[in-house]
Amino acid sequence: MKLKNTMTAVAALALLLPVAACSPSAPKDGAESQTLNVALPTHAWTNAIKESIPEFEKASGIKVALTTFGEDQLSDQYNVKLNTKSKDFDVMMFRPPQDGKLFVQNGWLAPVDDYLKKADAGYKWDDFLPATVDSVTVDGSVYGAPLITEQEVLYYNKKLLAEANVKVPTTMEELEAAAAKLTDRDKGQFGFLSRGQLSASVTQFSSFLYSFGADFDNGKKATLDTPEAKKAYEFYGRMLNQYAPPGTTEMNWIQAMPIFAQGKVAFYTDVSSLSPNLDDPSTSTVVNDWGVAPFPAGPAGSHPYNISAWALGINAFSESKDAAWKFMEWATGPDMSLKLQQKGQSLARASLYSSAEGTKGFRDDMIAAIKTSTAPGVAVGHDRPLVVKVSEAREIIGKPIVTGIDGGDVAGAIEEAQTKYQQFLDEETKA
Amino acid sequence: MSSKRLAYPIFRIVMLTVVVMTLVIPFAWMVLSSFKSNLAITDPKQLLSFSPTLANYETVFGVADFLPFLINSLVIGLASTLVSLVIGVPAAWVMARYQMTKSSTGVLVARIIPTISLLIPWYYIFAQTGLAGTYTSLILAHMFVSLPLIVWIMLGFFEQLPIDLEESAQVDGLTPIGAFWRITLRLSTPGLATAGILSFIFSWNNFMFALILSSAQTRTLPIALYNFISYASIDWGGLMAASVTITLPVCVFALIFQRYVVAGLTAGSMKG
Amino acid sequence: MTPLHPPAATTSRLSAFANKHRKYVLAGPATFFIACMLIIPLGFTVYLSMTGASGSVSRNADFIGLANYLEVLTSNDRFWPAVGRTFAFTAVVLAVEMLAGLGVALLLWRTFRGDSIIRVIILLPLVATPVAVGMMWMLIFHPTIGAANEILSWIGVSAQGWLSDPRQALPTLMFIDIWQWTPMVALILLAGLRSISDEPLEAAAVDGANSFQRLIHVILPTLAPTLITALLLRAIDALKTFDIIYATKGKGGGSYHEAETLNILAYSYSFDYQYYGKASAVLVLFLIIILAICAVLIIMRKGRKA
Repeated sequence: MKLKNTMTAVAALALLLPVAACSPSAPKDGAESQTLNVALPTHAWTNAIKESIPEFEKASGIKVALTTFGEDQLSDQYNVKLNTKSKDFDVMMFRPPQDGKLFVQNGWLAPVDDYLKKADAGYKWDDFLPATVDSVTVDGSVYGAPLITEQEVLYYNKKLLAEANVKVPTTMEELEAAAAKLTDRDKGQFGFLSRGQLSASVTQFSSFLYSFGADFDNGKKATLDTPEAKKAYEFYGRMLNQYAPPGTTEMNWIQAMPIFAQGKVAFYTDVSSLSPNLDDPSTSTVVNDWGVAPFPAGPAGSHPYNISAWALGINAFSESKDAAWKFMEWATGPDMSLKLQQKGQSLARASLYSSAEGTKGFRDDMIAAIKTSTAPGVAVGHDRPLVVKVSEAREIIGKPIVTGIDGGDVAGAIEEAQTKYQQFLDEETKA
Repeated sequence: MSSKRLAYPIFRIVMLTVVVMTLVIPFAWMVLSSFKSNLAITDPKQLLSFSPTLANYETVFGVADFLPFLINSLVIGLASTLVSLVIGVPAAWVMARYQMTKSSTGVLVARIIPTISLLIPWYYIFAQTGLAGTYTSLILAHMFVSLPLIVWIMLGFFEQLPIDLEESAQVDGLTPIGAFWRITLRLSTPGLATAGILSFIFSWNNFMFALILSSAQTRTLPIALYNFISYASIDWGGLMAASVTITLPVCVFALIFQRYVVAGLTAGSMKG
Repeated sequence: MTPLHPPAATTSRLSAFANKHRKYVLAGPATFFIACMLIIPLGFTVYLSMTGASGSVSRNADFIGLANYLEVLTSNDRFWPAVGRTFAFTAVVLAVEMLAGLGVALLLWRTFRGDSIIRVIILLPLVATPVAVGMMWMLIFHPTIGAANEILSWIGVSAQGWLSDPRQALPTLMFIDIWQWTPMVALILLAGLRSISDEPLEAAAVDGANSFQRLIHVILPTLAPTLITALLLRAIDALKTFDIIYATKGKGGGSYHEAETLNILAYSYSFDYQYYGKASAVLVLFLIIILAICAVLIIMRKGRKA
């Protein structure tokens, strides 16, 4: 009898639980309060804006529900949910260089041109850096507001440089000579480090490629086997083969940055936005020792990328597009941008870099490096090929890099990559 | 002879010590790291001598706010287990008593299929029925794992249970279902406990379903783990503290009910 | 729900109905649930595998017959290496787990003081959350800050790449899998050993057989069905290993795809390359492979029992 009662209770509970449990998330529309779903990655920008969201809710009467995911997990979410035309999120933070073309082609992003036309003059759309506006523009329509900008810079360890009496290099040749001088494997000290992982390396390699006077393609034809590109491949591979710690071929910034932060590496090329990690005494021993310089010049000059790594966009299937735009306008507007910039974000509005207020959160050498890198005629607006299936292209292009790091046959790998990449481009343009 | 007699126990102690150390040291390392600052984690000199800190746990329950995720894992684990027991146990019983091999094999195919192939269609169905991101959708998804598990365990259990009692109860005037309800189930508490506990552990540990199907309000612990790997940094201390937070409850749970867990893991291997 | 104890008036009729059709009434809900959750998605996957869907599931979704299968089966750079890795991974971890598991089970066979504590401790790895376990090993095997290299340096061995070395990644993952699942094999085999009756063993001892001969001629043949069951359970999970590879190597399984098994390949094709058609073809082929292996093992087990 006792068991019978227990079982009945269990059964009843089991049936009720799901019903009761899903009710809190049930009220979605309804006039009393509109809920806006915003999907964001775990990123310093996300943490910075979180505190200000109650202000927006108060001013607009819109309730904001944030969902944050790791970068890879967020992209999995988009892939599954947008494939089924999900309305789960209204505002979505996305990566224009990686996702932009694909999402637009799939019809997952709503164009914001009309909103821009109607936008308040105070929004100042023309203040956004041109290279970043390009990155959210597909076939003449704008699909989002640029958020975070990133440039490739040269980090260096002041202490190691001073010990060996080495000056901060400004050219590739100087960089190699300095890296050679500062490499001492017995001491566990290395001259140079950059990303070497197949796919991750491509973005950091891109600035080397441009500075040697080459690019991935010219829109239709793959250009990985030009003499300039060959030299860039050889240089990048050699630097990581000879002057970098072991295991570079599996290094994304997650693996590479801590090695620099531990003071074991003299030079490290990576993206400007990683610098807050170096200032964090809980992860970094080089808080007072790191410096930053503009990307060194190659045979064709210094041409680092300057991209909009993240942007805010509107889900094409959203039923609250107007509210979504309101949020975007607020989050990327001049006031909020200045506020977040002062918290150490590197945002896409040009005015932020020319005013003392906007550069307050930055070190002098960082602001100098960013200014030099973003100057007209210097920066390149992409850090990976401008294609739809970026992941696949990156793996093709990354192959000769990895081969070079491992000391293999770079020329042969380039030849193979060139053929494969050409096939890839042919298929892309055909589709 | 006597030296040989002694040799084996010594050999056994040495070997088992090695086994136990191999299994325990990594966990110990995880726990140790969770009390280290990130600087201490990255500094090999502070391998064992470091000043312990609770900061990582403060991050886990403060900034990362793990409590709601913990509750989500608990709700989804309990609900999916209970519903699966309610529909799985009677099913296992008829399958065992009437040798319904086709049905039982069919249920077990669910254990074999690569779950990636199910995610997009499931999400589509859930989205169409307005269930996307709700507890209900996650409970249903987790039931897809727990139900076959429960059927599998209970099938073995019922097959071992003597049928005489049920038969004599039927002679005494009980219907077959009545005999199952009043006689068999009462004798099945160990089996039910085994099936339920194991099903809960599997649900607690599940990663892929919640990765795709959960929403901000229903996210479970294994997914929340990824909050510690962000775009510009990886918080090893926080990650380890979070890993301990996820692993500890299930380990304690398993230790308390270890008899049932072992029975569940070995279920089915014994049947004739 | 089945009307297990409804109000008195309708009790008898409902109960009579339920009892008469008890097979369907009781097994129905469970079978129906699994069928719904399984057949529709499976059908959709098979359908997708015959379309060119890429980018999103509805783009380029023209019916192209078996072209995806042809492309996948003739692809030497991703599919076949992934098949090879899946089999290598499964074969190695199964072999080691069986041997080590049998060893541990034999050590624990005869009860001694404290054996229950050991049986409790060896439960830990297999109930621990796989993603958390992956993170834990990622830190231990970290090439620069990991404890594994630090310990190696004490005995004068130079730092290894472990998960980050293309040649060591798969073996390291095998180690993690073996670490996590040997205890389960040991527990299953221990249960099997304890159900062996003493008589044949004593008879063999009387005949002068030493421990090793007894193991080969008496214990193993008796234990065979249990061994095969353990093999079957582990094979299913080892073939599908996902969580620890995803946690430690990410999509694509590394620079040389060195840890890319079939499950990871299908995942990369779907969620990284958005080749939904091709990904579905890989998944269908993968399912066929798993079913075939399970069928072989089940037939083996039946043969043993007969």
